[in-house]
Amino acid sequence: MIWLAWRQARAELLVAAGALAVIVATLVATRGHIATTRAEDLSTGYKSLQLLGTALIGLPAAIGMFWGAPLLARELELGTHRLAWTQGVTRTRWLAIKLGLLGAAAAVVTGVFTLVFTWWSLPLDVGGNRIGTANFGQRGIVPVAYALFALALGTLVGAVVRRTLPAMAVTLVGFFAVRFSVQLLVRPRLIDPVELSTPTTMFGSGSSASGSGAWVLTSSTVDSAGHALSSSTADQLMVETCHLTRDSGDVAWARCAKQVGLHDVISAHPASHFWPLQIWEAAAFGVLAIVLAALAVWWVRHRPS
Amino acid sequence: MADRLGKRFGRRWALRGCSLTVPAGAVVGVVGANGAGKSTFLHLTVGLLDPSEGELRVLGGRPGGEHLGRVAFVAQDAPVYGSFSVGDHLRLGSRTNPTWDGHLAERRLAHLGLDLRQRADRLSGGQRSQLALTLAIAKRPELLVLDEPVASLDPLARRAFLGDVMELAAEARPTVVLSSHLLSDVERACDHLIVMVQGQVAADGPVDALLARHKVLTGPRRDVRSLPAHLSVVQERHTERQTTMLVRADGPILDPSWIVAEVGLEEMVLAYMATGGGREKPLHVAAVAP
Repeated sequence: MIWLAWRQARAELLVAAGALAVIVATLVATRGHIATTRAEDLSTGYKSLQLLGTALIGLPAAIGMFWGAPLLARELELGTHRLAWTQGVTRTRWLAIKLGLLGAAAAVVTGVFTLVFTWWSLPLDVGGNRIGTANFGQRGIVPVAYALFALALGTLVGAVVRRTLPAMAVTLVGFFAVRFSVQLLVRPRLIDPVELSTPTTMFGSGSSASGSGAWVLTSSTVDSAGHALSSSTADQLMVETCHLTRDSGDVAWARCAKQVGLHDVISAHPASHFWPLQIWEAAAFGVLAIVLAALAVWWVRHRPS
Repeated sequence: MADRLGKRFGRRWALRGCSLTVPAGAVVGVVGANGAGKSTFLHLTVGLLDPSEGELRVLGGRPGGEHLGRVAFVAQDAPVYGSFSVGDHLRLGSRTNPTWDGHLAERRLAHLGLDLRQRADRLSGGQRSQLALTLAIAKRPELLVLDEPVASLDPLARRAFLGDVMELAAEARPTVVLSSHLLSDVERACDHLIVMVQGQVAADGPVDALLARHKVLTGPRRDVRSLPAHLSVVQERHTERQTTMLVRADGPILDPSWIVAEVGLEEMVLAYMATGGGREKPLHVAAVAP
């Protein structure tokens, strides 16, 4: 049975392995130059390699579309499930073995890609931000969980829709809908963000929190009593208190802000939250993947033809 | 074998109230119009579908599960994997079936002249059917189910295919159930018959017993309601002076005013198919000639 699963997925798996080999070779070959050159001196050719991170965002969706969606839809579309499911192997076992093989392959491909890309990006990440929404999904362990989720989603959609192309489209849309809803609505709340009070950055001075590697969720400028101020009210307040004019320098404005008691209140996930957030989000997508895969097995057992 | 079996798709019943028994070792033809429920019935027997109601026992147990290895199925249009070679299909069979007979499969394919390296999507319709049948036979099944196995074949390939099925039935003695709307094929190949009409079993039994029970009666024009209770009308035709009807006789026909004639299998099946009714309520609707 494992032979059958391998034989049917052979072409796709070899394509994936080949593409992965090329990507890994490219990253390994360029890592030395990246590590020894300052970021601002890098040529655009090297910088464009960072776009591979975008490929890493798309990879789970591709796995859902090209491995997951056709897994059942193509069999049902061509009628070959009637051949496969009347051999001496129950279709529950048949699907479990196929999902096991493809799941393992998806985890390995995404895992290796992420690991190598994370390592390649280390010099560029120094002093940068890996917890923000731009980079979080290209680092750590969440890409693997995304891939497993996409595979299970595609499989279930294929079983229900029974046509390959519509199943691929639904999988693509569904995957990104869930992926970005989680990023927007769920990830900030997975663990409690930290409340920080910092000198206001309104006047171009002070250190910005995101610069220190934190993921800023909300930020507002408040006065000494803690009331939120819009920038025009803050300006007016300081003009009255310190007798500043438009021509006063930023330094004067910043000193005045300190004197008046203006500061920023920030809600953020500091860089130290990176791994807890990774683990929680990966666990959430992992559980989703298991639930969807179980639903697909149930569907195949009870709603076939 | 089947007791008040039913299968519903959404709100439509594809099969309802089917009760029948097929003796082991029989070669059974399932006949009926398109949409009469033949495929649904066959898919239930091989476990591809679960019954919505009633009970179905195949080889002494529920279809599917551990029975899969003892039952072989060739689905309509003989689906095979296009990207697999013929040899890959044999490997598929050997890897998934405990009772696989690899020598039998290879011998059969060699006899048919099929190259093991040939891709399955380059096979002709007849070759594909033969490959699917080889996969089914090499399982050494106790029950072989064939859904419209010859529908897409030319007459020559059809004859060869059915000949192989007959040969197998004579050698290994599995129970064979095949559906077809080609009545001449069924007549040649089968010793047992199931006539399906609109999701119900209209008639079933050994072919010779069925033929013996059905008669064509011709006589002066009269109302069919005046017939004795043991005669149920399958089809009737009236002219101004004469009534002709095909009846199922569950007793002797004593009325001397009828001319009683034997019936052929094709004539009998077509009469059932034309009624569109089931056994429970013998229909009195039929084509009336002007």
